[in-house]
Amino acid sequence: MDFDFLQPTDLDEVCKLLNEYKGKVKIISGGTDFMIDLHKDELSPEIEYIIDVSNLRDLNYIKEDDNKIIIGAGTTHNEIANNPIVNKWAPVLAKATNSIGSPQIRNRGTLAGNIVTASPAADSVPALLVLNGKVKIKTSSTTKEIPLEDFFIKPYQSKINQDELIVEISFKKPPMECKSGFKKLTRRKAVDKARLNIAVLALQNNIDEIEILRIAPGSITPTPERFEKTENILLNKRPTKELIKKAAEQVSSTMIEKSGYRWSTEYKKPVIKTMTRRILTRVLEVE
Amino acid sequence: MMETLSLEFKVNGQEHKLSVTPNKRLLDVLREDLNLIGVKEGCSVGECGACTVIMDGKIINSCMVLAGQAQNSEILTVEGLEKEEGKLHPLQQAFLDAGAVQCGFCTPGMLMSSYNLLQSNPDPDEEEIKDAIAGNFCRCTGYKQIIDAIKLAAERMNRQS
Amino acid sequence: MKADVINKSSNRVDGYEKVTGKAKFGADINFGNQLYAKTVYSEYPRAKIKKIKLNKAKKLDGVVEIITAEDVPGTNEMFGRFPVLAAEEVKYVGDGIAVVAAESQEIAKKAVKLIVVEYEEIEPILDMKKAVKDTKELVHSDKEDNIIEHSHHLMRKGDIEKGFKGADVILERTYYTPFVDQAYIEPEVVISIPDPYRKGIEIHGSIQNPYSVQENIAKVMDHKISEVKVIHSTIGGSFGGKDESVMMMAARTSILAERTKRPVKMVLTREESMTESCKRHPYEMNYKIGAKKDGTIVAIQDEVYTQGGPYNNKAMFANWRGSVHATGPYQVDNVKTDYYGVYTNTIYGGAYRGFSAPQTVFGIESLIDELAEELNMSPKEIRLKNCLKPGDTFATGQKMGKDNIPIPLKEIIKEVCEKADYEKKVKKFKEYNKKHSEIKKGIGISCTLRGAGLGGEGIDTAGATITIDKDGSITLISDLTEMGQGMRTAHAQIAAETLGVSLERLSFINTDTSIIMDGGPTVASRGTLAGGQAVIAAGKKLKDRLKKVAAEKLNCDKEVIIIKNDQVYEYDNVNNMIDFDELIGVCIAEKGISLSAQGWYNPGPEELSEETGQGNAYPTYVYGCAVTEIIVDTKTGEVGVEKIIAGYDIGTPINPQQVKGQLYGGILQGLGYGLMEEFEQKEGYLKTDNFDDYLIPSIKDIPDINVILFDFEDDFGPYGAKSVGELGIELVAPSLVNAFKNATNNRIREIPLNLERASLGKNLSK
Repeated sequence: MDFDFLQPTDLDEVCKLLNEYKGKVKIISGGTDFMIDLHKDELSPEIEYIIDVSNLRDLNYIKEDDNKIIIGAGTTHNEIANNPIVNKWAPVLAKATNSIGSPQIRNRGTLAGNIVTASPAADSVPALLVLNGKVKIKTSSTTKEIPLEDFFIKPYQSKINQDELIVEISFKKPPMECKSGFKKLTRRKAVDKARLNIAVLALQNNIDEIEILRIAPGSITPTPERFEKTENILLNKRPTKELIKKAAEQVSSTMIEKSGYRWSTEYKKPVIKTMTRRILTRVLEVE
Repeated sequence: MMETLSLEFKVNGQEHKLSVTPNKRLLDVLREDLNLIGVKEGCSVGECGACTVIMDGKIINSCMVLAGQAQNSEILTVEGLEKEEGKLHPLQQAFLDAGAVQCGFCTPGMLMSSYNLLQSNPDPDEEEIKDAIAGNFCRCTGYKQIIDAIKLAAERMNRQS
Repeated sequence: MKADVINKSSNRVDGYEKVTGKAKFGADINFGNQLYAKTVYSEYPRAKIKKIKLNKAKKLDGVVEIITAEDVPGTNEMFGRFPVLAAEEVKYVGDGIAVVAAESQEIAKKAVKLIVVEYEEIEPILDMKKAVKDTKELVHSDKEDNIIEHSHHLMRKGDIEKGFKGADVILERTYYTPFVDQAYIEPEVVISIPDPYRKGIEIHGSIQNPYSVQENIAKVMDHKISEVKVIHSTIGGSFGGKDESVMMMAARTSILAERTKRPVKMVLTREESMTESCKRHPYEMNYKIGAKKDGTIVAIQDEVYTQGGPYNNKAMFANWRGSVHATGPYQVDNVKTDYYGVYTNTIYGGAYRGFSAPQTVFGIESLIDELAEELNMSPKEIRLKNCLKPGDTFATGQKMGKDNIPIPLKEIIKEVCEKADYEKKVKKFKEYNKKHSEIKKGIGISCTLRGAGLGGEGIDTAGATITIDKDGSITLISDLTEMGQGMRTAHAQIAAETLGVSLERLSFINTDTSIIMDGGPTVASRGTLAGGQAVIAAGKKLKDRLKKVAAEKLNCDKEVIIIKNDQVYEYDNVNNMIDFDELIGVCIAEKGISLSAQGWYNPGPEELSEETGQGNAYPTYVYGCAVTEIIVDTKTGEVGVEKIIAGYDIGTPINPQQVKGQLYGGILQGLGYGLMEEFEQKEGYLKTDNFDDYLIPSIKDIPDINVILFDFEDDFGPYGAKSVGELGIELVAPSLVNAFKNATNNRIREIPLNLERASLGKNLSK
C-alpha cells in the first residue's frame, strides 16, 4: 500500500491536515493495530496520507490537579502503568494497561489507540468506564468532551469523525478510600487478548454501605459499558454473598439480553458470572 | 506517487541520513538499508518479538514502526552489543555459556529485551526476568536456559562493577 | 576409558554467529540481480481451475516473469502427489496456482493481487470419517478411495479374539488430537540461482532435507540429480516442517531462475507458512483394551485414522511408526493394530517432532489411566505392572533385554515418581481438593518408549567427511543438517574425541548435496545416532592413517600409538612423542598422505513382516517418564501447569547441556500441544494463520521443570549416545490430561485442554 507520511509538529497542524485530507487520511501513534492492517492488506484503499503523532509532546503527558487526572491521548500503556499518579489514584487503570500485549507493544500502544480501535475486548476501556472517563476530541475549530461510554457505536467502530482527533482522556479523581479491581482472563499467561475481562470500582462508608459502585465487564457486549442495573442491586446496601450472587447472575443475563446467544455464550455465561462474583467479593471484602 | 522520506537517526551509535519510501517499516530500513541482518522478521504482526530493537531506551517491535516514526531516534540492535570484534557483551557470552541458543533466530530479540532489562534492573528475580522477556517467543529452548543466561549475565556484570 | 570431550557441556560451535547477529539465515542471503517471487494461492478448498488471467499482472512495471503449471519443464507432480502448481484442480487453500517474479517484493505482492483466477467450486471433502467410507467423493479421482497410498500399517501379535475372551474387564475408548504447527520462529526462505559454473540449478534456503529437495527438483526441472545443488542456510528451527513447503518453493523458484536466468528469492509470510507447510496429522484413535482383574493387560486393539490433507508424503512413514508404538511401552500378548491415512481437502499432515508419537502416547497413556481407574489401581502401579521388562516382547515380537537393548522402564518410572514425591502428592492433593470447591490440584503420570532412528521405516544410513588441513584445522561436513538442535556441536565433540584433538580445531560446512553423498533425511532423532557413527567412521579412518605415519616416525608399533589432547605418543612412553601439528606436516609434505576421509554408517535394514508387522522394529530404544502437577480453576477452565518432573534415558549425552535444552524445548512444545495450540478451520478455510491467533507457550507459561538424565548402558550408539530430539514432546499432553482427571474427576479425550474443554468438558466452535 502506498501513502505519504506526514509528521506535524503541533496539534493545530494535525487538525488542519485532517481537514485538508478528509477521507484520505489516517492518524497513527503507536501503530500497533494499523501496522497489522497494513501487513494483512486490510487498509481502506482511500487512505493516501498517514499522520504520525507519536512524537508529539502535545499529546504525551499525565497531569493531575485537585479534581482530576488528565492523560494525553498519545501516552503509552507502559507510561500509564508505571506512572505514580495513576498508581496512586487509579490503580485499576494501571493494572488494565499493564495487561495489554507484551512489553514491546506497551511501549508503543496508546490509550487513544486502544479506545479508537473499539474492540469489545479492549482492556483499558472497562477501567476507564469505572473511572467515568471522558474523551476530549478536537477539530481545527472545535473541542468537545464526551463520556467514554457514549463513544462507541458497534464492535470496531467508534464515534470519531474523519476530521477529529482524540487529544486527551480524563477522569475525576475517585475518593482516596475507593477500592478497585481488574481481572483479565486469557488462554495463555502473557501476550493474549482477553477472553473475558472486568473492572470494578467501589466505595463503602464506615458501616460498609456501598456509596459508589461501578461495574464494567468487557468482551461480552458489542460495545463496552457500565452495567448500571447490576450496580443498583448493591448500591446503598451492605454487600452480602447473596446480593453479590444476584449481581453476578444479572451480569450474565444482561450479556445475553444485549448480545443474544452466540457460539461462545455457553462458556461466557457461567464464567463472567464467576468473574463478577469473585471480583466483587474481593473488592468489597466480603467473606 | 509516494514522496520519499528523509530519515535521520542514530543506529548503534552512528548517525545516518537515508532516503526511504514512507511505507517501509523500521525493520526493513534496518535490514535492507543498513544491512543489520541481526534484526529478524518472524510474524510481521508484533507477536513473536524476533524483530525487537531498542528505540530511545525502550524495547519495541520494529515490524510495528513505520520508518518515519523513527525520525531523530536512537536505535540499538544486536550488532551494537559487541563493542569490539570478538569481545562479546556479558549477556552474549552468558547466552553461550548457559546453552540459551539453539536455532538462534529469536536470540537477537531476546538479547535486546534482556539487555534493556539489565539496564534498569541489574539484579532481577525470576519473575522480573519473565515479565521483561514475555514479548519474545522461543520455540527451541523452552526458555529455561535463557532465564539461566540472564541470571548468569547479571551476576557477572554485578561482580565486575 | 574416560572421555575427554564426550559428556561435556561445551559451548555450541556455531554460537558466536548467533549471538552477534552475524549468522545468515535464508532471509539474510541476497544475490545480485535477484528477483522476488510470490505465489498466487487458491481461493477455495476444492475447485476446478477454469481460467487464469495473467495479463494485467504481466503489464505491471517490474514484473519479469509469471509461471503456471504448464511452465513446469519436467514433472509437475513431486513425491506424495505434491504439485509444483495446481493444474486443473485446487485441492486445498494452500495450493499454488501461479508464481510471479518481480524486481521487488512489493511489486511481486501487487502483481499477485492483479492475477484473476476463475474457478468452478466443488464441495470439499473435510470430514475424515466420512472420507474413509466414501468411494464416490474422492480427493484424487484416479483412486478408488481416500486412503493415502501405503499408509495402512498393521500389527498382529498373538490371538486378539482369544485375548479378549480371557479378559476380566474390557474398555473401549476414542481419543482425538488436532492439527498443530511446528511454529518455528523463522518462516521459510528459498533462493534458487542458475548454477554459476555449469548447467543446472543451485538452491539455498531453510531446507531440512536437502537431498529430497534435490531429487524432486531434478524431476521437476528435467535435470540429472547431479545438476541440482542444494545448500542449506542457517535454519531457524524446523521440527520437520521445512520440508514439503520448501520443496514447493524450490521447484517454483528454480523454474523462474532458469527462465529469467537470474537468482529468484521467495520468503514466506507467517500466514503463507501456516497455510502451506505441513502440520501434525490429526488422529482419531479407537482403542479397545482387555485386562485381568489384577491389572495385567491381555489384549489391545486399535483402529487409528490419521488426517493427511490432499497430498501426503509422510503418512506412510508416520503411520508405520505409530502402528509399532500404538500399544505403548507395555507387555501385551495379543495385539491388533490398524493405522489408515486419509485424504481430505484441508491443510495437510507431514512431519512434526515426534512423528506419530505425541498422538499415540496421548492415546495409550490416557487409556492406561482409564484402565487403572476401572480396576481401582493406581496409575503408577498399573504401569509398573505392565511395563516392558527384560525378557518381555514388544508389540512387534522383538525380545527386549537381549541384544543390548536395555529396558529400564521400571527403574525410570520408580525413580521419577520418587523424585516427584508422587504418592505423597496424590494424598496431599486429595486433601486439598476436599477442602476447595473451585480450585483443584492434580498430578498425572505418563511414560513412553521410542524406537531410536529410522528402524523399519528405512535404512538408517549417514555419511560424513572429515578433512585435516595443513595448519591442523579440521573441516567436517555431514549429510545431515543442523537446524538448531545442536547436531553440529555433538558431531564436533565426537570428531574431537575420536581423533584425540581439541574441539577448537573443528570447522563446519553447511550440508551441500554436491560435496557429500545422500545418507537420508535429518529426521527420527538420528543426527547423533546415525550421523555421529558416520563421523566416528571417518575419524577412525583418519586416525588409522595418522597412527601409521606416527608409528614410523616414533619407531614403534601402530597399535601402541595414542593420540589424545593434541598429543601423539607411545603408550607407556610419553616422552616418545610428536606434536599433532607436526605430524600433519609429515603426513602431507613428507608422505603425501590424504588426510580427508569419508565415513559411512549403515546398520542394515530391519526386517519386518508386511502381513503382521512382526520383527525387530528398531535396533534400540529410548525411554521416558513424566509426572505433571497442575492447578485447575474449574469455574473458568484455566489450567496452570505447575511442575513437570521428567526422566529420560537417551544414552550417554554427548553434551548434557544441549541434551537438556532439547528436552526443555520439546516439553514446551508438548505443553502447547496439550494446552493451547489449535487451528480454527471453517469449511476448509484456515482462520488461524498467525501468532496472534495460534498460541504457542510464552515464557510466562513455563512450569517448574526438572529433567533427570538416566544412562543405562547401551553401546549401540556413538559413545553410548542414542536419540533425544523428539522424546521431550511426547509425555506432556497425556500426563496433563491424566492430572486433569486426578484434579477434577473429568476425563478429557481430546486436546488441547483449552478453557472450554476444561470448564465445559467440550469444545465450542464458531
